[in-house]
Order: sequence, then structure tokens, then C-alpha cells
Amino acid sequence: MKEKILPKEQLPQILKTLLESYKVFAPIKKNGFYVFGEIETPDEIALNYLNSKIPPKEIFYPRTEVLFTFTKSPQGIDIQEAINPSESRVIFGIRPCDAKSFTLLDKFFSYGKFKDPYYQTRRENTLLIGLACVNPRSTCFCTSINGSPFGEEGLDILFVDLGDKYFVKSLNLKGDELLDQLPGLTPASEKDRFNMTELLKKVLASMTPEIPIENINTKLEQLFDEEVFWDQFSQKCIGCASCTFLCPTCTCFDVVDEETSSSGKRIRLWDTCQFPLFTLHGSGHNPRPTKRQRLRQRVMHKFSYYPKTLDEIGCVGCGRCIIVCPVNQDIREVFKALQET
Amino acid sequence: MEKLEKIMQDTAKHFLQEQKVDLIIGYKQGTIPLRTTPCFVTKPEDISQLVWNVCCDHDLTNFLLQPEYKDKKVGIIVKGCDARALVVCMAEGQIERKMVTIIGMPCPGMIDRKRIESELEPKEILVAEITEDQIHLKGKDFEQTLQKDDYIQASCKSCRYNNPPVCDVLIGGQPIELSFNDDLDEKLAELEAKSPDERWTYFTTLLSDCIRCYACRNACPLCYCKECFVDQTQPQWVGKTTNISDIMFYHMIRAFHVAGRCVECGACTRACPMNIDLRLITRKLQNIVKDRYGFEAGLDPNVPPPMGTHTMEDPQEFITEPE
Ligand code: SF4
Ligand code: SF4
Ligand code: SF4
Repeated sequence: MKEKILPKEQLPQILKTLLESYKVFAPIKKNGFYVFGEIETPDEIALNYLNSKIPPKEIFYPRTEVLFTFTKSPQGIDIQEAINPSESRVIFGIRPCDAKSFTLLDKFFSYGKFKDPYYQTRRENTLLIGLACVNPRSTCFCTSINGSPFGEEGLDILFVDLGDKYFVKSLNLKGDELLDQLPGLTPASEKDRFNMTELLKKVLASMTPEIPIENINTKLEQLFDEEVFWDQFSQKCIGCASCTFLCPTCTCFDVVDEETSSSGKRIRLWDTCQFPLFTLHGSGHNPRPTKRQRLRQRVMHKFSYYPKTLDEIGCVGCGRCIIVCPVNQDIREVFKALQET
Repeated sequence: MEKLEKIMQDTAKHFLQEQKVDLIIGYKQGTIPLRTTPCFVTKPEDISQLVWNVCCDHDLTNFLLQPEYKDKKVGIIVKGCDARALVVCMAEGQIERKMVTIIGMPCPGMIDRKRIESELEPKEILVAEITEDQIHLKGKDFEQTLQKDDYIQASCKSCRYNNPPVCDVLIGGQPIELSFNDDLDEKLAELEAKSPDERWTYFTTLLSDCIRCYACRNACPLCYCKECFVDQTQPQWVGKTTNISDIMFYHMIRAFHVAGRCVECGACTRACPMNIDLRLITRKLQNIVKDRYGFEAGLDPNVPPPMGTHTMEDPQEFITEPE
């Protein structure tokens, strides 16, 4: 663990150095919102952002990805794997909640015996440089879910904006090594450390008060069959996928084959529990036929099944679902209602 | 608008008390500034939840078609565009006139919170106050006042029927006249003047960010099919990927499906999390229908939709004899 200081005007130099050896992904502004995109020059980066519209999970787990291609011939079927060893990458400027989401994704994509090689190859070759939130949104609730606007989980290096300079902290061996290669850094002083702690206090105080979510999974289990409880939320749900597709921890996918008579490909796509088709059986039976059950699934999966199977809440509190929902479905209202029951 | 809000509440309450309706579908304050959220009131004592302001932009007709309200007598708060969507649903036999009580609002145009939010980011709005012609915003380290007319939703600027063409009661009794400058037809003319290749580029660029969340379809009051063509698996009509060809296929077919039916309420564009503006597509189709059949959707529940009927006089010069 190293603690350094970087004067702000030196940042382009750091990015240039990174760009020499890595593919660099960073927040950029596009169509009126921020996304993580590959940058080629330091000036493309837009660090003055709250958070990205699309979570950076896309970088490891794209919306559409070919798993393998196949060709048919009289000799049989020939399969070509589509896993390419990924180039070394850096994600720069990622928010702590999104970095934490990768620790959940890591578990999901390596659960049990099987490791997902598509996700893993990209993930393993990627360094994560975080940017602490000094200006959290009112919809952020990371602190309610054991996170922090200065959170370090999942990151290799954390940058904290101290005004005219960054406090730069490496968080593991990989981070240490990378810091050694970067120019313009000087050791942090006691005063810098103090300033950072003070800033964190200030930021925490400015955030929307924490929502108590203790025992949330047992409470949810008890309410599983309470139709009235779920209806108060699902009533206004229009059943689109914006909440789940744009959630950094949602991982459900569909697999389809696209083929001609002689060749084809197998493709993985983002899927969502909010679509009726997600659970439609071949027999025509659908175990989750209504939006009440589908909304319940989204909540249960994150706040009950995740804690049960992985011992962690499957949400990082980024608030994206609250912001993007066309009808203003606010997951915090579910927590509030749970407190009241 | 507060005055109208009060009259609206009283009217809705009266309908509930008289048991003319089982529930009222309306708007209540949302959890974020500049947002309202749909609400469903069954008890007269809860009526004060209902709000009426320039953030009441959801098209509530959408909810009316849901199976749980099928045999209910529903009172619904509608703006001009929502009422037109309702009329289309009635003309298409989806909603029985006698089952709905239409509480019409003369609509002054809704404000475009997405544009405001995006222009302000990284500043975040924490408090918003809206007066007759201004929007006062406050955040952590800023205060700002915007002119309301500068931030009217694009779909409202091009609205031609802001007063519900059909309703049981028009709240306040006074229709409102709108006079916004709208450049949609100009933009359309610009697009039409382009070469097919340039137009193709326009469409593919416009749609390339689509994540196929189907918020546009689900927010649309007229996309009510029990099973949408994109969800059919036997056979599967459309590829499921976010490759541009699959995305285009989805959007073009959906556009055809709302031709002559779309009321340009803007719900699709508003719902899109990726800020994709579908209005040039919908406007073009409605212009064609107007041109050829002299028809505008959502004005009269007794006139069948042009794409669902035919007459011997229908223009058909596009049908050519095989050579
Ligand atoms: S949820 Fe926390 S970590 Fe994420 S953007 Fe908000 S403050 Fe930052
Ligand atoms: S297509 Fe869009 S504008 Fe037209 S009726 Fe549907 S939601 Fe409204
Ligand atoms: S709402 Fe937007 S992103 Fe979602 S399917 Fe429609 S156009 Fe695509």
C-alpha cells in the first residue's frame, strides 16, 4: 500500500503513460450522458461526472458477445472458440460502487466448479483505478449497503480529488507496481492524509441518510406471498429492462444460436427477469406470469437470494435503477415499506 | 395549476364517493425532483396524493389496458395526448367507453427534465420549484432559474391536441391554447432531402445505442399486444442481439405497427434510458397516413383506424403489376 500525491495538471501525463501500455477505458460524455469508453488521448476523459449511465460491467460482460462460431461440412461440425486472450486494460475513474460490483460479478462468473472464461480473461487482464465520490448523488445509497463513496473494494488504486491535487492510494501489489511506473507522483504527507479523512467525513455527512436494511432477507422471505405488499410497487411497473440492464450487479443472460445451413454462431446476450419470456417454459407454463412476481424476483434476488448463497447483498447502492426508471420506481421505497411491516 | 389540481382532486374524490369509479389512476409526487409517479387511488381519503403539474408526463392510458383493471370502472387523469391514446384503444376495441371515466386536463405542455438534468450534470438538482413561467432549481452549491418555455418537452412543442378531444369532464372547463415553436417537420424535411445512404446513416447512428430494454414499447399506450413480435419464439422473427441489424429490425417493425395509430405522446422517447429520440420516425409515419387517408389518430372513437380497414377509394398506386 502506497500513498502518493498527484498535482492535477499532471493527470494527462499519467494517462499518456497508461495509454502506452494499456487499453484505457474511462468516463466519456456521449449523447448527453456518461459512459465508459475506450480513450485514445487524455483529453477525451470526462472526470467531472456523477456516475455513468451504463455501468462498466459492459467492459467485461458485453451486451452481445459471440461465444463460438461453427461451420458444418460433410466431415462434421467444426467449432471455433471466440475467447481471445484480452489485451492489458485499465479502467480509469471508476466509482467505488461499480468497483465493488465487480467483486460480486467475480463470484457469479466463477460460482461452483465452472469458471466463465469469457468474463475471466477480460477481468484478469484489467487494472481498476477508482475515483472517490466527493459529490454523491442524492440517490446514492452505497453507505446503506456496506459501501462508501471512498470505498476500496475491488480496486487496485484509488484517486481522491483534494481540489488542486489527487490523493493516490495503491491497494494491493498490482496497484503498487503500477504506481511505480507512473510519473509525477510524490509521497503523501500526514497533512494530505488528514485532509482526505476530513473530506470523507464531509462527504458522508452530505449524503442522504442511511436506510436501515438489517434482517432484510428474513423479512423479505416472510413477505414472499404477501400480494398486497408487492402490488403497491408493481402496480406502476411497465416491465421494461432499464433497471436490470443498467444495474452493475445484474448478470442474467440468454444464449441463442444464429445459423445458416452451413455455419453459425452461439451468442450470449443480456437478459432480464423483468421480461415474461425469461421464465416461459417450453410447455407454455410461466411460473412468473405477472409483473408482481417479476418485480419481487428483482428484489428477492438481490436482497435475499444473494445474501443466502453468497453471503453478500447483490446491490451496491449506485441508484441507477432509481434514476433510469421511466415511472420512478424507487427501490428505497421498498426498504422503507419493509421497515414499516 | 394549483387551482386545477384542487378541482381535479375534488372531481376525482366525488367520482370515488359516488362509486362511479372503483379507482382513479393519476399522478403523485415522485421521489426525485421534477418527477411524478403514477398512482392508483381507491379510497376518497387518499385523494390528496394526486398532483397536477408540468411533470405529469407519463401516459397513464398504458395502465388501463392491464388485465387487473379489465372489469373495473376506472377514472383516469388524461392530458390531450393520453386522451387520444385512449380514443385509439377504444376505436380498436380494447377499452369499453362505459368502463372509463375520463378526467381531462387542459395541458400547458410538460417540461423536459431529462434535458435539464443532463445540461446540469455534474450538478444535481435537489429542490425544484415551478411557477407559471419559471423553474427554480437548487442543489448543493448552486441555484439557478430557467425559463419554463425553454424546457418544454419536444413532443409537447409539436402537440396539436393538448386539450383532450374526448373526455367526461374537462377540469377547469377552459381549454388552453399552446403556441410553441416546433421544428419537427423542418427536421423531417431535412432528413427527407437526404440521400438514402445518408438517411440510413441517420437511422443507424440514432439507434446504435439501443440496449433493447423495450422501455419504449412498454411505455407506449398503443403497444398493447399480449405477445409482441419480438417475444415470439416459435417462430422467432427477430434476432435478439444488439447488433445494428437486429436493433433496426425491432424499431422499423414497431414503427410500422404504430403507423396511423401513434398519437405522438412522446412516451417512447421519454422512457428511453439511452436518450434515443424516435419522434422523427413516428412523425413521418403519421404524416403519410394523414396525407393518404386524411386521418389523424385518436380523435374519434367511432372511426376505425385506417390500417385496420379499407375502402375501394384507398390510394393504391404503389401496388404495381408484375412486369
Ligand atoms: S453509490 Fe457511493 S460509490 Fe457509487 S456513485 Fe454513489 S457515492 Fe459513489
Ligand atoms: S409510438 Fe411513442 S409517441 Fe407514438 S403513441 Fe406510442 S409512445 Fe406515444
Ligand atoms: S427504450 Fe431506448 S434503449 Fe430501450 S429498447 Fe427503446 S430505444 Fe432501445
